[in-house]
Amino acid sequence: MDLDYGTVVAFSKSWGLFYLIALAIGVLAYTFCPRNKKRFDRAKESILDKDDKPWK
Amino acid sequence: MPNFHRKLERSAIGFVLAIIVVASIGGFVEIAPLFTIDETVEKAPDMRVYTPLELAGRNIYLREGCYACHSQMIRTLRDEVERYGPYSLAVESQYDHPMLWGSKRTGPDLARVGGKYSDAWQVAHLRNPRDVVPVSVMPAYRWLEDNTLKTEDLGDHLLAMRRVGVPYTQAMIDNAPADAYGQATPDTDRAAGVSERYGEATNIRAFDGDPSRVTEMDALVAYLQILGKLTDVATAPAVAAKE
Amino acid sequence: MIAGLTKLERQLSLAVLTVLALCGLAFAAAGRNDPIGTHGFVILLSAVGLMFVVMAGYYAPEPDKERLSRYYDDPTKVGIILAMAWAVFGLFFGVWVAALLAWPDLTFDAAWSSFGRIRPVHTTSVIFGFGGNALIATSLHVLQRTTRARLPDQFSPWFVLLGYNLFCVLAVSGYFMGLTQSKEYAEPEWYADIWLVIVWVVYFLIYIRTLARRKEPHIYVANWYYMAFILVVAILHIVNNLAVPVSFGSAKSYSLFSGVQDAMTQWWYGHNAVAFFLTAGFLGMMYYYLPKRAGRPIFSYRLSIISFWGIVFMYMWAGSHHLHYTALPQWVQTLGMTFSVVLLVPSWASAGNALATLNGAWHKVRDDATLRFMMVAAVFYGLSTFEGSFMAIRAVNSLSHYTDWTVGHVHAGALGWVAMISFGSIYALVPWMWKRERMYSSRLVEVHFWLALSGTVVYVFAMWNSGIIQGLMWRTYNESGTLAYSFIDSLVAMHPYYIARTLGGLLFLLGAMVGCYNIWMTIRQPGTSLAAEGSEVDEPALATSTALQAGE
Repeated sequence: MDLDYGTVVAFSKSWGLFYLIALAIGVLAYTFCPRNKKRFDRAKESILDKDDKPWK
Repeated sequence: MPNFHRKLERSAIGFVLAIIVVASIGGFVEIAPLFTIDETVEKAPDMRVYTPLELAGRNIYLREGCYACHSQMIRTLRDEVERYGPYSLAVESQYDHPMLWGSKRTGPDLARVGGKYSDAWQVAHLRNPRDVVPVSVMPAYRWLEDNTLKTEDLGDHLLAMRRVGVPYTQAMIDNAPADAYGQATPDTDRAAGVSERYGEATNIRAFDGDPSRVTEMDALVAYLQILGKLTDVATAPAVAAKE
Repeated sequence: MIAGLTKLERQLSLAVLTVLALCGLAFAAAGRNDPIGTHGFVILLSAVGLMFVVMAGYYAPEPDKERLSRYYDDPTKVGIILAMAWAVFGLFFGVWVAALLAWPDLTFDAAWSSFGRIRPVHTTSVIFGFGGNALIATSLHVLQRTTRARLPDQFSPWFVLLGYNLFCVLAVSGYFMGLTQSKEYAEPEWYADIWLVIVWVVYFLIYIRTLARRKEPHIYVANWYYMAFILVVAILHIVNNLAVPVSFGSAKSYSLFSGVQDAMTQWWYGHNAVAFFLTAGFLGMMYYYLPKRAGRPIFSYRLSIISFWGIVFMYMWAGSHHLHYTALPQWVQTLGMTFSVVLLVPSWASAGNALATLNGAWHKVRDDATLRFMMVAAVFYGLSTFEGSFMAIRAVNSLSHYTDWTVGHVHAGALGWVAMISFGSIYALVPWMWKRERMYSSRLVEVHFWLALSGTVVYVFAMWNSGIIQGLMWRTYNESGTLAYSFIDSLVAMHPYYIARTLGGLLFLLGAMVGCYNIWMTIRQPGTSLAAEGSEVDEPALATSTALQAGE
């Protein structure tokens, strides 16, 4: 395939969009997956724990 | 998908790769095509390279941070074209390593300042801007006249420029210090070599008014006087009509 | 400080410093007739000076094993002090450089003090000196606390912190001598750039090694932002600084790229330096210190994840909005504009998340200037990201570009967001680090807050006015269809605003000086017996009442 300017630009424009959509779906799936809820809730609270020394 | 993502995050390396990939793509998509192109940079057969003196002047322009207040990019807007001249084309900064398009106009755009003022005006203005423009806020650059220009390593500078793609010939590189001297001392035999190597249209004169020595003022004024003049592709009638 | 290092680490320090000193010597010799020679001496002297420090403590007894059951906070402490010192230095030059536009003869006829040379001194000192040190100091603190793991060794954090400051010194002293690549916010020359890459790799390794040792299975979101900051800044720095030096003995180099490719690369760098240096890292700060200080968990953890990926993904496309109406192909401009506008979504999600966290804690915001610093930072973050998206629209940009509006926008972000969140975090962190009950004077924190806020507001309003007036004057036509104002007319109109902005900057500088005094006095006041046990008492009620936590 001839890699000229037009081809590269067309590729960038079209696949860039698909990539954007795929990424958005991936992130949303991860964020709202019910299995992750507990982890996130814990993480959210965890920084407020007393943290005066490293855990053994 | 969630499982995959969880693994990604648990092993920190996977997470690192994810950030790199996600973050790189935008830049890649925008920058990579610019290197494949003919369309981005127009053809300008008459485009010439900077002479050693002009390059030294350009380096002084960088050193003093002139780019912080002066742009060299006339945008495709009516008022800019009327104020500064035909809008800038990509090809005009083809040999600018790095480019000096700038981001702020505390002072006016300089993309086409070459030839707009006399050498004497430029020298007086650099010596103390308020002598010629009473309300100017530009710093005075008095020391430029006192500093003798360092020319002995200009050959190395041209060589470095050739390494990044500027078409300097071996003769240009070999004669760089002599050419820098010759361009600012019109009545010496070294002046002839400059027009031979860089073209008849090259400005050869004592830019700071003193032909006995080559100063940083000579170099900076030589550079300012060539701005917008390396090619006439932007000022040619065909382009002007397109506007 | 040296007493805290093991014998092996002391030897390693000496070995590394010897290599550094030799590099300095080589540059000093090769660059006898060039400014790079001066920098060779700077490197040599720094290395030798530090060698003396290490030697002086070399025969101190080994630290006991007990240290491994504590976090390693010495680099954080030094980082905080360095950050504040750079802040005062950089803000002082900011005031000076602003004053030059109102009274241009304040250069005192010297080369080193002209506008073009001290402007990068200001930008580098505040962004890299102040911001960078604040990021390194806080990231090492947050990293250990959220992973519940001690830093992997005691040498590499010092290497990163001191090596980074050597880079800053090389950069700033270079500008005075006229050494610059002219790429905005990437001005340091090739050898300083290479040194920064080495430092940065070690910084990354600290992060990844500590994460590998973590006791907490989930990586807290603040670390995501710090990681993105480290990784992406590395990519940007390396690509944008590719250059061919004139010779080993010359400081000068020529950029690998030219013209339109260089412009796109530079603003891809420039904009993402804002995104990943001045935004991602400081968001990491916000996601830790704000909830911690407020004593309330972040409003929505999920939202913070979504906005993280949004920011990492979208910022990368936005750089080309710096090049509207230029010789850059139009499709790239349009792409940059579109993503800049969409970028508002994750940005406001972050700002809103921070503000919503404070819901129910507004009384604390009222009483506690430290928390108020962070609250105002979130507000300015929201404002300046909105303004940024707005200014990225082509039509708006045609007016705003090249004017003081851009400068005002940058300072709304830099003063209002970056500096405010840093000051807030530092005020929270100082009592924890030095085991003090609280800051020396909460009144002085209050004073600093109001000086900083009024300075920012004065500055930003002055620049909005001057920028918009300037932009309008440049494009105003008179009845006969010619341009109504000369360039000089617009310059004259700027004068009062340039004075106002100098005043705003001065207020902000005074605030930072008050902060330095307060921090200094806090360090000097004796620790309390309660604090000596290592508990964190300078935090609002919630945490002090907690029962025994897991792991204690």
